[in-house]
Amino acid sequence: MVRQIRPLATLCRYAVLIVILTIMIFPLLWMFRVSLLGPGGVGFERLISGAFTLANYLSLFRSSGMGRYLFNSSLVAVVVVAGNILFCFMVAYALARYRSLSNRLLFISVILVLMIPVHIVIIPMYVLMVRAGLYDTYFALILPWLVNPIGIFLVKQYIESIPPSMEEAARIDGAGEFRILFQIVMPLCKPALAVLAIQVFFTNWNSFLFPFILTSSDELRTLPVGLALLQGHQAIDWQHLMAGSSIAVLPVLALFAILQRQVVSGITAGAVKQ
Amino acid sequence: MRLSRSTAWLLALPWVVTFGAFWLFPVVYSLIVGFTDYQLLDPQWRWIGWDNYRHLLTDPDFRNALENTFIFVIGTIPFTTVISLGMALLLNRKFPGRGFFRSGFFVPSITSLVVIALIFTSLYQRGGYVAMLAEMVGLTVPEYGFLQDRGTALYAIMAMDVWMSVGYYMLVFLSGLKAIPDELYEAAEISGAGRVRQFFSITLPLLKPTMLFVLVINSIKSFQVFIEIFVMTKGKFDTMTAVYFVYDRGLTTGFAFGYASAAAYILLVIIAVFSVAQFLMLRRRTPLW
Repeated sequence: MVRQIRPLATLCRYAVLIVILTIMIFPLLWMFRVSLLGPGGVGFERLISGAFTLANYLSLFRSSGMGRYLFNSSLVAVVVVAGNILFCFMVAYALARYRSLSNRLLFISVILVLMIPVHIVIIPMYVLMVRAGLYDTYFALILPWLVNPIGIFLVKQYIESIPPSMEEAARIDGAGEFRILFQIVMPLCKPALAVLAIQVFFTNWNSFLFPFILTSSDELRTLPVGLALLQGHQAIDWQHLMAGSSIAVLPVLALFAILQRQVVSGITAGAVKQ
Repeated sequence: MRLSRSTAWLLALPWVVTFGAFWLFPVVYSLIVGFTDYQLLDPQWRWIGWDNYRHLLTDPDFRNALENTFIFVIGTIPFTTVISLGMALLLNRKFPGRGFFRSGFFVPSITSLVVIALIFTSLYQRGGYVAMLAEMVGLTVPEYGFLQDRGTALYAIMAMDVWMSVGYYMLVFLSGLKAIPDELYEAAEISGAGRVRQFFSITLPLLKPTMLFVLVINSIKSFQVFIEIFVMTKGKFDTMTAVYFVYDRGLTTGFAFGYASAAAYILLVIIAVFSVAQFLMLRRRTPLW
């Protein structure tokens, strides 16, 4: 069926879309603009006519812990992403290829965690980390998040779409399990593992609650925690706060711009849990 | 030849450990500690039965926190759902620039919540852009901005939450819309059904599973609102929510683990009941619309 083209309707559609886009994008544009503004007010005239400067970024790295926060966020993200690629893959493989009652129970545990609201975990996690002597260490930031149920789910579904004949043939030829796992199956799972990596990176990079409650010293703060607590300082102005915010947002935006498809499938698979 | 049992368990070990230590243990621990008067500063805990729960139900702060949480959930979900569905419908058909707009609408969803909360803290101040816009349409802005007024703070945070989450739910709705076959619309058009009729007789009924997902996920997330509150108001100006209450009593002054755990469990039960109710409502065979 051929739809007739109605110029007025098309015009209206674009007008509405542009208005929505402005509303959605404006706060972020404001953040970048303010971060590049010299000291003083952040009023309308200054946003338009004020000169651009990188001074806020430089002084943030020099005088506050921003460099350290950035390092911590990156370190934790890299380790957690690597851990998830390895562990989610291992668990997913076991779930996909070994079917039994106990395995189904395991699968139920994955589903269960998807439904547990995280707030119930706040206090026990705090007590556990304090008792284990891991409170306020990198371990507290990393250990709980090395494998996640959404990731397992994602990779399991992918492995199930691969016929098992190749692995069985390799097994008959006498190849060891780990060789089969990492040299035959893992390379086949690359697309799913890429989506997994992005999902984990985004969740981890932006996560605030647990890094916040499980650390206390400035040296261990990640970007979101550092930013949220910087705000408490009387001395900090919007220019610096927005420069710090831009540092936290830029890697995520860059990744989104480059890998839109994977980001979208990763986030829509992953936003169930924050 | 298949994967052997012991290898399978060895491979699953990382999850078994993580599940046990960081999920199963906390859920059980919270339940038990909720029946004690355990505090960090007073390690001599004892069983007090339902006392924590009894106190909570008469604690004006907790009741207020629950009330605020309900206002937050019930006040944001209709807006988030309707706006994101509207956005999805606008972007459903192919047209030049579609991908660009879709990405633009989605950007707030990938931005750190802390950063968004910081930006809006400034926008909501007196002289900030939202306050300026509000004045332009004739609203009165509170003396110290929207976030420092008991009458507006919670609603300002709710509005930000809607702004921030519509992009994500739009994507979910778009994937739901894609699953509806075009032939249905074509048949409807031939039999003379207009756009509005098509929406209510085809689109909405077939979107039911997507709708259920959006409502359940969104309410579970909204019931747990915390980060925005922490960054923007610290629970002051009548913005204390249930999870902020748990944090406040459990991990700041007093470290009342028992009391806070009981509060967390009450919220858990509320979330569970709410989710099941939504599930049952949307599972009914008779159309809701």
